[in-house]
Amino acid sequence: MKKEVPIIEGLFKWPSEKPQLIGSRCPKCGSIQFPKSTVCNNPDCDHSAAVEEYVLSPVGTLYTYTVHAYSVREPFQYHKGPYVVGAVELPEGLIVVGRIDIQDEKALRIGMKLRLKIGKLYEDDQNIYLSYFFEPVIGND
Amino acid sequence: MTECAIVGAAITNWIPSGEPTPLLMDRLAEASIKALREARLTPGELDAIICNTSSIPFDSPAFITSSAQHFAHRLAERIGIREAQCMNVSAACASAAIAFSAATSMAKSGLIKKVLIAGIDNSPRGFYLPEQSYLDPDPYAAAIKVIGATNPAYWAMWARRRAYEMGKDVEDIKELMALVKEIHSQYGTLNPYARYRKIFTADEVLKSPIVCDPLHLYMICATCSGGGAVVVTDMETAKKITDKPVKVAASAVGGPLYGEPMPRLRVFSTYKKLKPFTEWRKPIEKAYKIAGITAEDVDIIECHDTSCFHTINWIDQIMGWEREETDNLIRKRQIRHDGELPVNLSGGTASFGESVYSQAFMMLHELFRQLRGEAQERQAKKNLKIGVCTAYGAYGAYGCIILEKGW
Repeated sequence: MKKEVPIIEGLFKWPSEKPQLIGSRCPKCGSIQFPKSTVCNNPDCDHSAAVEEYVLSPVGTLYTYTVHAYSVREPFQYHKGPYVVGAVELPEGLIVVGRIDIQDEKALRIGMKLRLKIGKLYEDDQNIYLSYFFEPVIGND
Repeated sequence: MTECAIVGAAITNWIPSGEPTPLLMDRLAEASIKALREARLTPGELDAIICNTSSIPFDSPAFITSSAQHFAHRLAERIGIREAQCMNVSAACASAAIAFSAATSMAKSGLIKKVLIAGIDNSPRGFYLPEQSYLDPDPYAAAIKVIGATNPAYWAMWARRRAYEMGKDVEDIKELMALVKEIHSQYGTLNPYARYRKIFTADEVLKSPIVCDPLHLYMICATCSGGGAVVVTDMETAKKITDKPVKVAASAVGGPLYGEPMPRLRVFSTYKKLKPFTEWRKPIEKAYKIAGITAEDVDIIECHDTSCFHTINWIDQIMGWEREETDNLIRKRQIRHDGELPVNLSGGTASFGESVYSQAFMMLHELFRQLRGEAQERQAKKNLKIGVCTAYGAYGAYGCIILEKGW
């Protein structure tokens, strides 16, 4: 039985019923970062309070994207082209780059609503590696 | 602050990379000696040697102690120095531009009077795969591992967003990028140092395979091996050396700007607070202020075109134009040597390919020759006074240099 493991620890809540990315937020100025950081990144912040872990909104809109036609070579050969890379704007103002999981690339539209999911990126002999993806929101959800 | 000027420049040929080339140190030393001879200086007269590091550790196996990270010291050993301060600058695609900025800042402060800025690279082939080191398993460095976002993926996302903001179909910017390549490649055929000395028609470019939609293969520069050397002195010395000193009117170094929405190379996220590409625009504004000029004073541009999108965006940002003006300028082919605003008459990275860490040398060399009227068949027709050179790379590494006729 293969073990499911996140591709990188600490990027997203897993295992969890509600998939969410883990960022950080400065309680002093409100600046948000992903992946999470130990210090605030706002150049005007006085750093008088420690940043806190902050889970990001799971739904956002597509800011821009590309269809990556080629595969990446080893050791990242599991990124097999064609696949879609997109930048997703979250309500917090953060723009997150991620893989977009969509059946028909022609249906991609800047501004379309997308939701985070956790899914399989690839597997080897021992493990199934999980990562975060964004997929289209169907209906009014 | 004292003024300083370029008094000598040389570049190597740009050749295929990703395999051992003729020795980097030999080629670097030869280019350095050539530039010093033009400057009528001996190595013993230098106050400093500032080099770029190299992209060699991007390939594997590679180690930070690689000799290719310490060119300044090795070059100093090779050509001989007396008192020169040696240092190496690492800043991805902007390494050479920032080495130049560091050198000219020191010269302007009066701390040094004669400096050699030099560098060479042999870039890994294909997509860059900066893997995390087990010594620094920083998740911030793992975007390619998690997302598969190669450098062209980011460039393609920028291009698509620009088209969207103009209310245009992405096919529109695709055609424009193909035209940029066609124009630049014509100058590549006239440049003996360029790797690609062939005209790529817009039609051929659009027929080349798609790498990251909307970018086709011929819209993306190949990685290369090449380098160069530039000699800078204080203006007083410069005027004794040559009657055509090229004044360093300004140099500005940029970095990842807080609030820039457009995802810069290698990142997982950005925070949307500013107008897209403010990160590209800011250092240019700073350089204009230092030089005491405005965009209207710019006569010629050598910009870092790792993709043909870069050329388009550089013109937007350097000129501070609304985007339609840039598109019209390119469509009317006014970026040619006989146009209103010549851009990349060297042939650009589109014709040279990119020797990643050393790319600024071919741009500085071209501006130096153009401003002195020594660019032969590529020489701009208009009267040139001021030229701008820009470089931008991974993590927001950035340099902007303004050169001006100093006579």
